[in-house]
Amino acid sequence: MNLEKLTIKEAHKLLEEKEITSVELVEAHFDEIKKRDGDIHAFLSLNKEEALETAEKVDERISRGEPIEMLAGIPVAIKDNILIKGAKTTAASKILENYIAPYDATVIKKLKEEEAIFIGKTNMDEFAMGSSTENSAFGPTKNPVDLERVPGGSSGGSATAVKAGFCVYALGSDTGGSIRQPAGFCGAVGFKPTYGAVSRHGLIAVASSLDQIGPIARNVDDAAAVFEAIRGADELDSTSVSVDWQNYWDSSLDIKEIKIGIPREYFIHGLNPEIEKNIKSVISKLEKEGAKIEEISLPYNEWALATYYIIMPAEVSANLARFDGIKYGYSQISNLSAEGGQISNLLDVYLKTRGEGFGAEVRRRIMLGTYILSAGYYDAYYSRAQRVRRLIKQDFDRAFEKVDAIITPTSPTTAFKFGEKTQKPLSMYLADVYTVSVNLAGVPGISIPAREVNGLPVGLQLIGKNFDDVKLLQIAKIVEQLTKEII
Amino acid sequence: MLTKKEVEKIAELARLELDEREKEKFAEDLSSVIGYIQKLSEVNVEKVEPMTGGTNLESITRMDDEIKTISDSQMRGQILNASPNREGDYFKVPSILE
Repeated sequence: MNLEKLTIKEAHKLLEEKEITSVELVEAHFDEIKKRDGDIHAFLSLNKEEALETAEKVDERISRGEPIEMLAGIPVAIKDNILIKGAKTTAASKILENYIAPYDATVIKKLKEEEAIFIGKTNMDEFAMGSSTENSAFGPTKNPVDLERVPGGSSGGSATAVKAGFCVYALGSDTGGSIRQPAGFCGAVGFKPTYGAVSRHGLIAVASSLDQIGPIARNVDDAAAVFEAIRGADELDSTSVSVDWQNYWDSSLDIKEIKIGIPREYFIHGLNPEIEKNIKSVISKLEKEGAKIEEISLPYNEWALATYYIIMPAEVSANLARFDGIKYGYSQISNLSAEGGQISNLLDVYLKTRGEGFGAEVRRRIMLGTYILSAGYYDAYYSRAQRVRRLIKQDFDRAFEKVDAIITPTSPTTAFKFGEKTQKPLSMYLADVYTVSVNLAGVPGISIPAREVNGLPVGLQLIGKNFDDVKLLQIAKIVEQLTKEII
Repeated sequence: MLTKKEVEKIAELARLELDEREKEKFAEDLSSVIGYIQKLSEVNVEKVEPMTGGTNLESITRMDDEIKTISDSQMRGQILNASPNREGDYFKVPSILE
């Protein structure tokens, strides 16, 4: 049996039926990591000892005949910007190179209650800023499908770990596409829930009004199982929302009852024609099977990327002010000398610590945000972007009066080669052109694999209405099924 | 196009030290992004209210409850231990007053 390719549901069943033990499952994944992660570099740290201890506990419970939770005994990888108490949490930054988390993120607490097995922390673009994982201070992650190509980002390590068989599922975070785009590039399923559906407590903040934690998994059912485990209001995140969630498993959505919108603005300039063809073949198949397809318009989408690259860096510049070399993390304070030295006062400590601790892209975005928020520019940029953000949200509101979900490509291209976009930041930013508006509007989005182009995975994105996450997952499951028939 | 002087000013406000080569590279990078985001000036935003967050929630409050987290002595110890320059239970910073 190929233990490192199991889905959550399959692994759960095998554990329950005592066909396998959790210890065997964990060992199989660590074997795979040992064999291949030297080349791929999905992980920044591993946690084998504790993983096996938890696995033994779950095995004991199973042998006593106790019922176990869906995620119990199943290995999960966690993006390294989510805090696990006592574990190193770096956000792939030199400034947090030796930082040990003093508490659990709420999502981790919830997974611990299910006795999930944490096998390690995954690589990412530094502070989740990037679309290729090339911005990690600890070296890039390679795409397991083609080692010469990037896995996408910023949750590149998480998507890679799932695809490579290093874990059964993973958690990522998504500020402008950071779960969906790498899932698309690696051939996995990546789900960004509605803003507020999952607590952000214990997630290292990038842009607080856009960030959301979500799963990367092998199929839609698994993404739904993880979402059900981690969602819910949390008093430690005042933007989390209490929702009376429907159950993903006990519904029976009929393809003939669903209405899908095709936004004409997403199928124009810059889209790889082969990707367009593949997405359109899924749409034709949906229509043939009885779904209602309607062309829709999201007219303000044209300004989504510009809006995003104002709001995100503005929030970044405020959020990252906390890294000052005083409270935690890398610091130049030990080089302080009263007279004549390079560091003689508090300002020098800040300048040196932050100048050396942050990588180029992080500094670029902090400076961009500082500029945007500075006196004289605030109204022209930030205030205007907040208004355009509302127009973008209203586009979605209008669309969802008519349709249940919107189909788009996840990215305009397949995975690109290392170094292809690192010299020109703006060309890297354009990789997010189909994903950022979802974060601006706060709506849920999911990327599922469509037919490959030249042997490289292609992501199909489905977008749903706020807090209609379960329905979106159910529609995604239908589309996933049809897509498999086409492949 | 941002000048090197403008980049120096922004970097100072952002508390980031840059070397000479970086100043030139950042002037170029930031200028190209700022050029791109100018695009928003095409949009008519008259009478549009700003969207200030990800949800419609307003002024969420909760009861102060220090028993819950702050008095977790282990966590308190770990937080203090993470400080690069500590004296007793204080974070120590260089004096800022003459």
